[in-house]
Amino acid sequence: MRGTAQPAVHLKDLNMVFRGAQGDTVALQDANLDIAQGEFVSLIGPSGCGKTTLLRLMADLITPTGGELLVGGKSPALARQERAYGYVFQSPALLEWRTVLNNVLLPLDVMNTPKATRQARAHEMLKLVGLEGFAGRYPWQLSGGMQQRVSIARALAFDPALLLMDEPFGALDEITREHLNGELLRLWQETGKTVVFVTHGISEAVFLSTRVVVMTSRPGKIEGVVDIDLPYPRNVETRESPRFFELATRVRELLRRGHGFDADD
Amino acid sequence: MIIVAALALALYWPLMLWVNAGAAQRSLDNGAELGCTTAIACATQLRNPVLPAPAQLGNSLRAMSVPPLAPTSVPYNTLITAGETVVGLLIASVLGIGLAVALVGSRAFERVTLPWLIASQTVPVIALAPMLAVVLGQYGVQGWLPKALIAAYIAFFPVAVGVAAGLRSPDPMQEDLLTTYRASGWQTFWKLRLPASLPFLFTSLKVAATAALIGSIVAEISTISFSGLGKMLAENSRASDTLALWVIMLYGAGLGIALVAVLGLLERLVTPWRAGQSR
Repeated sequence: MRGTAQPAVHLKDLNMVFRGAQGDTVALQDANLDIAQGEFVSLIGPSGCGKTTLLRLMADLITPTGGELLVGGKSPALARQERAYGYVFQSPALLEWRTVLNNVLLPLDVMNTPKATRQARAHEMLKLVGLEGFAGRYPWQLSGGMQQRVSIARALAFDPALLLMDEPFGALDEITREHLNGELLRLWQETGKTVVFVTHGISEAVFLSTRVVVMTSRPGKIEGVVDIDLPYPRNVETRESPRFFELATRVRELLRRGHGFDADD
Repeated sequence: MIIVAALALALYWPLMLWVNAGAAQRSLDNGAELGCTTAIACATQLRNPVLPAPAQLGNSLRAMSVPPLAPTSVPYNTLITAGETVVGLLIASVLGIGLAVALVGSRAFERVTLPWLIASQTVPVIALAPMLAVVLGQYGVQGWLPKALIAAYIAFFPVAVGVAAGLRSPDPMQEDLLTTYRASGWQTFWKLRLPASLPFLFTSLKVAATAALIGSIVAEISTISFSGLGKMLAENSRASDTLALWVIMLYGAGLGIALVAVLGLLERLVTPWRAGQSR
């Protein structure tokens, strides 16, 4: 474990089995991991490796069938009660009847934060993601990348210590994704949040993370962890550096080792 | 749309001459005094034409529209029918939305109620209307209210079904999002389900409005009624006054279009985020 502080996320022998009519599916088997506060950890792996399941477990959207899971030293249920994390989904999931500003205000409305500070906070978040000029627009008037930035602003609006992100840039084109990768890295450095980031992009994971957790499928489990020691600030040159390729290769090898080339996907 | 209208108008004249020529020829053969000599010429002068000539229709329209607020004028009776329809639609909205909330809120309620709701819509309204009027009459409910209730009876169903679909329409991710905020069920309803259902509400209200209009007219025809478009239709149909029937039909169509147009205007006010959005 890094540092003496409470880990942001702690899992020990974590298991998740989905029971179904065609038998049980082991989505996650004996997962062990500690994520320190302020870390940026990516979970990478093929479809069905349990990376989204792991994120949903941390968010208390599903309940584990075995093992230990602590979020900020508490049970996920308690962490959710205390609104300890912000969740960014695969799609922006904006409310189409709310303007950009009102979408960012949504968590503050639900959580009944003091009315006086709400507006200022929402504007501040929009500024952080570079969309202050779009406060009055409706979601459909924005591009996919901009919509996802709004959803990140929304997740940060109530200032949670932990950000859980489920393939937030998966649906975007490569150019937009690399741009938003840079933005996210800047946000992470400015806010000091702990980020758990699910992706199936190797270069995205290596570029963003302090550590990359490689997962494999059937059953979903953690195959290995790669420490990313790329220097900051990370930029376009970072992506072209030899060290970047070495680390990406290391992640790729771990993915292959777990995959075994016998699966049909 | 304009092209279609122009085509319909261009085709109307020959069609009108053709369908009326037979009757005109018979009248001529019987030696009726029509003030014309050939069947084609007489086709625009018949007293009860199948299709009226534009001039005839215009004259009747004028004659039946003045004075506008006389109990025998078509505009006055259109207003009566409009009132019944709007009140029926209001009752249907309250009932439909209430039912939709209950249907979405409770699976048990849905299982118990839905078959009966569907059954309620298989009863032909024309058979139901006289019975309802008699039963309601025994409780002192008379005049326009029974007709509004009959209109509501057939209009609540599309509202209930549409709004229920709307309340269920939010994306699972949006529901998860509210869960991560620890939103209460009440908050999820107000901030997510209800606004998501509004576009569905207006789509079903437009269907319901036409249904309600049919309901109130049928109610006027099939019960003892002293005013309304249905009552005028019944009277003039017995008198075979086709010119009058055409005029009443025009007013009825106008009323239907007006109702849907008002709802469309309301929709734009209530769901401003959809303005300009390509659907």
